[in-house]
Amino acid sequence: MNVDCIIIGGGISGLTCGIRCAENGLSCAIISAGMNALHFSSGSIDLLGFHPGKNIVFSPFDELNDFIHSHPRHPYSKYGRNVIEMALSYFGDQVNLKGLELFSNKQNNHFHVTSLGTLKPSFLSQKSVFNQHIMEAFQNNPGIAIINMEGFRDFYPEVVASNLKKNSLFNRCKIVTGSIQLPDSMTGLKNNCNLRSIDISRIFDMGSHIDEIADQIKKIAGNSKIAGIPAFLGIYNSGNILSRLCDLTGLFIYEIPTLPPSILGMRLDNALKSRFADLGGVYIAGDRVKKGYIKNNRVDYIITQNNPDTHLTGTFYVLATGSFFSGGMISESESIKEPVFDLIVEYTKNRKTWYSHDFFHPAGHPFFNFGVNTNDQLNPFDNSGKTIKNLYCSGAILSHYDPVTEGTGGGVAVSSGYYAADRILNHS
Amino acid sequence: MINLENISFDHCIKCTVCTAYCPVARVTHLYPGPKQSGPDTERLRIKNPNLLDESLKYCNNCKRCEIACPSDVKIADIIQNAKWKYSPKKFRLRDMLLSHTDLTGRIATFAGPVFNFFTRLFPVKRLLDFFLNISSKKTLPEYARGTFHHWFNSCRSTQEDYDTRVVYFHGCYVNYNDHELGKDVLCVLNAMNIGVTLTNEKCCGVPLIANSFLSKARRNAAYNIKSLEKSIGGTNRKVVVSSSSCTFALKHEYPNLLEMDTSTISSHIEYITSYICKQFLQKNIPDMKPLNLTAAYHSPCHLERMGGVIYSVEVLKRIPGLELKLLHSECCGISGTYGFKKEFEQIAQDIGNDLFRQIKSLQPDIVITDCETCKWQIEMNTPYEVLHPVSVIARALSGNKFDLTV
Repeated sequence: MNVDCIIIGGGISGLTCGIRCAENGLSCAIISAGMNALHFSSGSIDLLGFHPGKNIVFSPFDELNDFIHSHPRHPYSKYGRNVIEMALSYFGDQVNLKGLELFSNKQNNHFHVTSLGTLKPSFLSQKSVFNQHIMEAFQNNPGIAIINMEGFRDFYPEVVASNLKKNSLFNRCKIVTGSIQLPDSMTGLKNNCNLRSIDISRIFDMGSHIDEIADQIKKIAGNSKIAGIPAFLGIYNSGNILSRLCDLTGLFIYEIPTLPPSILGMRLDNALKSRFADLGGVYIAGDRVKKGYIKNNRVDYIITQNNPDTHLTGTFYVLATGSFFSGGMISESESIKEPVFDLIVEYTKNRKTWYSHDFFHPAGHPFFNFGVNTNDQLNPFDNSGKTIKNLYCSGAILSHYDPVTEGTGGGVAVSSGYYAADRILNHS
Repeated sequence: MINLENISFDHCIKCTVCTAYCPVARVTHLYPGPKQSGPDTERLRIKNPNLLDESLKYCNNCKRCEIACPSDVKIADIIQNAKWKYSPKKFRLRDMLLSHTDLTGRIATFAGPVFNFFTRLFPVKRLLDFFLNISSKKTLPEYARGTFHHWFNSCRSTQEDYDTRVVYFHGCYVNYNDHELGKDVLCVLNAMNIGVTLTNEKCCGVPLIANSFLSKARRNAAYNIKSLEKSIGGTNRKVVVSSSSCTFALKHEYPNLLEMDTSTISSHIEYITSYICKQFLQKNIPDMKPLNLTAAYHSPCHLERMGGVIYSVEVLKRIPGLELKLLHSECCGISGTYGFKKEFEQIAQDIGNDLFRQIKSLQPDIVITDCETCKWQIEMNTPYEVLHPVSVIARALSGNKFDLTV
């Protein structure tokens, strides 16, 4: 099998790269081992959330040049501010084409509420999570209702409310909590304790009983202006359900990201995969690339777990296999390996230096910075130190950035995927 | 003592992504989903088999959980094994008749048209429903007269003239139900200058595994492995299989679930479109005439699981005049014998409904799919003819079929 571009890894980075390549007429195949990390994410894209030492960043683009200057080996430093800006706006447009609207607070971060009631800086969020109306409503110390579904075990409105009250932004707001009940006929169950966000989303997707649910929300909300509800208002039909609930209750209702499986992440995943398929891309799910073979500083072919006898060949290859969790890197007792091409992984030799002893240490954990080192074109090096010319790395496999401590995970995934496509298009 | 080798469930990190993609959990809250029925409760079952939760009987073994799992847990295998190992052993005549395809097939093909006539009569359907719990809403598949294996004798000599020959594992469906598909395979391979030999085969074991006849499945597997080894005879000859689920059994279920050694045959076995696709890539393309048809392609779960969909799509794209529309990847619900069972019939319908709606809204001329049971399900629920990719190629070959018999 032969295509122009083989992308190993079907997460946010691989999909962004695949969409851009396919849009420019290249034949693309994405090979993905299991569902991607969007299923465990908040569904928001952060660009730069924190300064070293945990100070919150309000205007990431104002600070990006300084950040790049002080982090010369950071992925952002390989392609610079302009590419990052173009990548994020491209990403928003592509998702929008599939009916999912993303909000960005002009060039600034916005702060969405987490399921613990803390605020998290983000650059792009789905409009059901944050939008202009909610931002304005929050400025007038409104009453806030935090609402759950009776029996849903992945969300505790009281925890959200008590943490919000600790925040100086909300200590003058009246916060109420309560739970709505699904009509019995909708589940056929005696109790709803086994329902997860995905089950509730499917019930909402059917679009029935919305009036009844709106009545219940109104009762709980009382005089509140804003209501927060766990992100389970549907996967395919959520925009419609949310606007109906807002109209019927007269409230600004927003969604709060929940525990996995993340409905907000699944919406993004659906939008990206469906866009990729529209452009003629082939997405091979549930197969793992076992090994890539390199000849004369170029990837010759790869083989997969399911079809080890078949050589898959492409003109270009992208390695977007992610970090440790998705198997992009494998940590052994004293070493860290990249399993597909055996690329050079940057890490400190002594295992004791891999992590901080304090789990919430403000400097984070060193292992987050481990990864594959590349040149400025995102080409990695094989184990003899030679550049592999037709291979590009993108996303969480890259070294020298800490997605958690910096709040750069989504930004690096999107921009490096976009830039990898840029390099490929430049060469083809 | 806990068998320490069998702890793949320990790789589960409880992310619940499998349950999000489970077609059964999507339509019924009676099934708690693959995470709970598989890795979660396996740790209880190995301590005490009495902790078996009956709800795992709802699993239809479509394997979509394994496609979704980011941690490489063989969830469906854990569930199938648990069904067999821990469920109380009750003999069910219905499950035996549905799963022992060689037995049922031999009886039915002996009677041929008479059998088909009777199973289509409403009173007979009601009786099957009442006594055997085979849903009267489903129509049992049609059986052919005689076996494909027997028919092949008539053209065996023509096949020996080809320099390149492959072993064709036709499976029960071609042998007992649909000789035409088998003839299409011969026709297409012959047009590519490739001859065919058969091997002695028994049911690959897919229905046996699904109905917890694992010991019988192992016996069949041992027979097939030995027989295929003999047919390959130490050469590099390929074994092509026209049923996606048979291929899946031979390549994956034998070593993973049945724990059989397939090292001698595994690299030889290839699903038919994968084999044809590779021939196409080597420029061995038969002369095809434009079909002028719009087709909707449905990818069967087991073909998805083994990564074979790209080959079918690639081959179909090469057929001139075939406008191909790819259906959103979804389970059709039938899952082999699952949808025929009265207690699961409604679940199977609910699973398939989205797919049927999609097909109807596309209004294709034909539907294409690789799996025989998907074909039955789609034909029972939409007005369209459903063809195997190889049969579509056969139609494109010079308009009508070669005369294979001498």
